[in-house]
Amino acid sequence: MSKAFEVALGIVTSIGGFLEVGSLSTAAQAGAGFGFQLTWAILLGTVCLAFLVEMSGRLAAISKHTIADAIRERFGINFFATVLVTVGLVTLLVLAAEIGGVAVALQLTTGIAFQWWALPVGFAVWLLLWKATFGLIENGVSLLGLVTVGFLVGAVKLHPPLAEVGAGLLPTLPTHDVSRYWFIAVSILGASLTPYLFYFYSSGALEEKWQESDLGVNRLVAILGMSFGGVLSAAVLIVSAMVFQPRGIQIDRYEQAALLLTEPFGYWGFVLFVASLAIASFGAALEVSLALAYLVAQGFGWNWGKGVRPKEAARFSLTYSVVVLLASLLVLVGIDPLKLTLLAMALTSAILPVAVVPFLVLMNDAHYVGEHRNGWIGNGVVLVVIALACVLAVVSIPLEIFGS
Amino acid sequence: MEIVREVLDKQVLDRKGRKVGKVDGIVLELRDGRAPRLAWAELGSVTLARRFHPRLAAWAVRWAAWWGVTSGRPLRVPWSKLRRSGLDMAIDVDLEDTPAFAVEEWLRRKLIGRIPGA
Repeated sequence: MSKAFEVALGIVTSIGGFLEVGSLSTAAQAGAGFGFQLTWAILLGTVCLAFLVEMSGRLAAISKHTIADAIRERFGINFFATVLVTVGLVTLLVLAAEIGGVAVALQLTTGIAFQWWALPVGFAVWLLLWKATFGLIENGVSLLGLVTVGFLVGAVKLHPPLAEVGAGLLPTLPTHDVSRYWFIAVSILGASLTPYLFYFYSSGALEEKWQESDLGVNRLVAILGMSFGGVLSAAVLIVSAMVFQPRGIQIDRYEQAALLLTEPFGYWGFVLFVASLAIASFGAALEVSLALAYLVAQGFGWNWGKGVRPKEAARFSLTYSVVVLLASLLVLVGIDPLKLTLLAMALTSAILPVAVVPFLVLMNDAHYVGEHRNGWIGNGVVLVVIALACVLAVVSIPLEIFGS
Repeated sequence: MEIVREVLDKQVLDRKGRKVGKVDGIVLELRDGRAPRLAWAELGSVTLARRFHPRLAAWAVRWAAWWGVTSGRPLRVPWSKLRRSGLDMAIDVDLEDTPAFAVEEWLRRKLIGRIPGA
């Protein structure tokens, strides 16, 4: 494969895979509630994610170890257990949110309540994991995910006031609903920085046998792919700010969010929204399930991988089967998918230090990355953003749950 | 060699480079009047459980006895047979002869291998 093609494919799959139920619903809520004011949270989250994804690829390409592998090996089982439990539980909630996203899309098309779709969707996720190769999952679903570019087209068609959008890139204090503002900011950061993304990325790099010579491609894909992905998130926020905020509509249910694209596109806007929600959430569900199985298998040193048949990595296959089932059951009992999504994203922010700090230590350890250690800019940006996200989360989650 | 930093929790590969597990524990032999000697590296769920709490290890032993697939005894690798291989440890054993394989094989035969398409 030529380098140019690799870069192009990497960027396209990053864009197609960027928007999932978390970034979609948090951006939509931000726009509806606060206009363009929260665009800064998307910018901050995206920049930090680009750094983390680049680091993750670099760790795998140089050390031939994934983040989970290296955390167990470098910090021992007790610390790894902490990561496994916190990141594992929050990621399980994220998986339930993704399955819920597909189920809601099906509810919007068929009128049959989302709970009924929980098990069929879970089964479809499992079946694809069982049968498909890593390349098909990574590239195929991401290519379909390009349907989410519809949000960008929608945003352009609505002619947003660019000066106001630009002003939103700088953080400002809210003038109303203070605790809601910070809670949504935290959820946006959590949605951008879900650990499954960069944990998954290092496993993917190993599945695809990256070498030191892939570092350039890795950097380009991380920067360009994540930037374009962030633009899509911002597009959702812009559309929501243009369509919902002037009418004073707060998004409390997915049925409301489904009307996002009807202003620029009419009936087809509804179809486009439902398709985007279904495809993006389904793709993310596949990756999140794999990420959870990778985390467990690598932590205990089992054989793992989507390059082998299920029976050749029996414990690994069993793990993703179980997590898909558990997440589907969470949706089946009827927890409101939108509330579940927002909570999962906010909790993600709260646990970021546990997921990211050990990873940063590894990226500064010559045993693992040799001369390709982090510079101070990468360390600085990531530390500042996760500290901010965590502090905001610890303050705003209780306020959101108990305050109002 | 700094034992804990360089050996404990490292990935263990078999003779053919296949994953066996991680170094779950290290056994020291205490000797009268002399310095303790490094005896074995251990791989196994009971050894791992003991590092959290002795009670968890007792449960792991009972679970292994009830399940019957593994003896519950860890894989013990004599210190002299442990080699470094980059960031990992390599041992001169075939994966097929390890308790880790017994679990994998049991799952393959009884569960995963029976599902179509496995």
